[in-house]
Amino acid sequence: MLEIKNLHVNVEGREILNGLDLTLPQGEVHAIMGPNGSGKSTLAYVLAGKEEYEVTAGSVTWKGEDLLAMEPSDRAAAGVFLAFQYPMEIPGVATMTFLRTAVNAVRKARGEAELSTPDFLRFVREKAQALNIELEMLKRPLNVGFSGGEKKRNEILQMALLEPALCVLDETDSGLDIDAVRVVAAGVNALRSPERAMLVITHYQRLLNYIVPDRVHVLSEGRVARSGGPELALELEESGYAEFGGEAA
Amino acid sequence: MDLPVQQFRTEAEQAYLDLFEAAENALPGARDPFVAGLRANAIGTYGRLGLPHRRIEAWKYTDLRTRLTGVNPLGKGEGVAVSEAALSQALGAEIASLPAYRLVVVEGDLRAELSDFAGLKSAGVEAVSLARALEKPPAWLKETLAQVNPRKDDAVLALNAALMTGGVALRIGDGVILDKPIHLIQLDGEGEPASIFTRNVVIAEPGSSATVLESFGSLGLRALQRNAVTELRIGAEAAVKHFKVQRDRDDAFHLSTWLVELGPDARYDAFQFSTGAGLARNQVYLRFAGEGAAAEISGAFLLRARQHCDTTLLVEHRVPRCISRELFKGVLDGEARGVFQGKIVVSPGAQKTDGKQMAGALLLSETAEFDSKPELEIFADDVVCGHGATSGQIDENLLFYLEARGIPKEAACALLIQAFVGEALERVEDEALRDALGRASAAWLGMASG
Repeated sequence: MLEIKNLHVNVEGREILNGLDLTLPQGEVHAIMGPNGSGKSTLAYVLAGKEEYEVTAGSVTWKGEDLLAMEPSDRAAAGVFLAFQYPMEIPGVATMTFLRTAVNAVRKARGEAELSTPDFLRFVREKAQALNIELEMLKRPLNVGFSGGEKKRNEILQMALLEPALCVLDETDSGLDIDAVRVVAAGVNALRSPERAMLVITHYQRLLNYIVPDRVHVLSEGRVARSGGPELALELEESGYAEFGGEAA
Repeated sequence: MDLPVQQFRTEAEQAYLDLFEAAENALPGARDPFVAGLRANAIGTYGRLGLPHRRIEAWKYTDLRTRLTGVNPLGKGEGVAVSEAALSQALGAEIASLPAYRLVVVEGDLRAELSDFAGLKSAGVEAVSLARALEKPPAWLKETLAQVNPRKDDAVLALNAALMTGGVALRIGDGVILDKPIHLIQLDGEGEPASIFTRNVVIAEPGSSATVLESFGSLGLRALQRNAVTELRIGAEAAVKHFKVQRDRDDAFHLSTWLVELGPDARYDAFQFSTGAGLARNQVYLRFAGEGAAAEISGAFLLRARQHCDTTLLVEHRVPRCISRELFKGVLDGEARGVFQGKIVVSPGAQKTDGKQMAGALLLSETAEFDSKPELEIFADDVVCGHGATSGQIDENLLFYLEARGIPKEAACALLIQAFVGEALERVEDEALRDALGRASAAWLGMASG
């Protein structure tokens, strides 16, 4: 389970998170919503361990361990996964190669046996099919020439392959049309389990029709301004973010 | 009163003149008027020019006159034993074991017992030791030697013509399509420092197709000063792939010049892989002599510590409708210095020329440096020419993406560096060689600092 207490984060001299508190129990899906600039993506990056995000106060505990003290690759080994809002293109690295390297790195760090190439291929084929990803696409360099929807589906494929315990989805629906949102949501829902916790960061309520959260938190000016059940998201759709210091959602 | 101007010569510059004077009568072909005349002209050219220095534009980043403080005695390759294990050590196992027609030259001495003359002959390739051919040059050699894209302004080239002690002369017959590469292995010897001047002459007759791989390695010789030239004349509709793998010792000077001429509709694909030598200068002079030809010159250089590698290309579009492409990628660590100079000259009348150039360097340390200088002289008006250069460190965002997926920092850096070099390696169409170079890059990465 994830416990965030009084988190203050500084980015390039500006305080973005101002005392954020959040508890995410195992097995639950929590949505993070809020106007632009409220700190949603900052939260995602801090959890994944991006360098420029300086924690000035507070703590983040994951399964009882101090997450902030861990290197990004160690966090991945500990089961943390961030689905990027803007997945990176890496020319010269074939997607399949990247996937196999990542999966085996994490398995090795967990003391599990690395997958042989045929086993890995089988594993990938199974998961890729469910996300409508053709194996041909995986021979191409990572994300190069992929459409927005393809990149996001690739992120969910990675999530399925790495089997993380904490999934942080940073605006996974941004730039996607309805059909793409459905496919991605189905992929995410297929990974919901009592052993897994998810943080779904989104600007719009629409995604939450498909990935129904257990709880919704609204961020404003770097802290949680309000929390509630899934109906809170619907309320926001009606009223917008005005009362939280933002424009209409 | 006008005083005669005494040209100031450095010790090294004078030493080359002395070296020639002492060795002249013992060099191959000393008794042949054609060869002797060629050598005399060449040393004269050198004497007039002296060693290149930084005020000569083409040598701006590589001041040979300052860097070369002494000249080593001429190396003699005979008597140096070469075993398969030694070859593997000198070139790297992945390169030494590539299936090919082998020709082994030790300091200019072509080793018949290690070379596959019979195989080459039955495949349609005439191969002779240059040293022997110079004693009594056949007509085809007289028509080619020092006449492929000749230059009168290059002192390094002139020194080679004056002092060359051997190498290989190859003639790939009309329409011959080779099934395996010709692997020209060029080694130094052992023991005391030496200067080695080798020259290869390759003629690809019309319609032929061949791959020539030149690899350079050390058997243990200290402080080698190497001056290697390959002249390559590619006939009409012939296709030649030309590769170089340079892994000389870190205390070596490696001066390499390729002179290339392309006939109509000919095809030239070249790739140079450099990881050795303290100071390396790779020159490629390419001239399009026939319409509709295409050339691609690419390479990768991986440098660390205080290595210096200068790649200087001059591509001349003298006739219409030719295509040239250049792609060089460098990875620089420590205090290494990488240089890329690409000059493209398009003559008046060379319409429909298409020339593109790209050079990129990845700097792994604060003290590494990359200098890139494109030069385009375009005198025709219906052409497409472009150039670009990039230089930077590993992209932090890409690194984070990989780390966030569980790939530890060092492995992530290695993956990104390999991806960077990989773009250049993709130009190598020979799969076995491309894999071998990929593995050589990975091995280099294992030794570079993180």
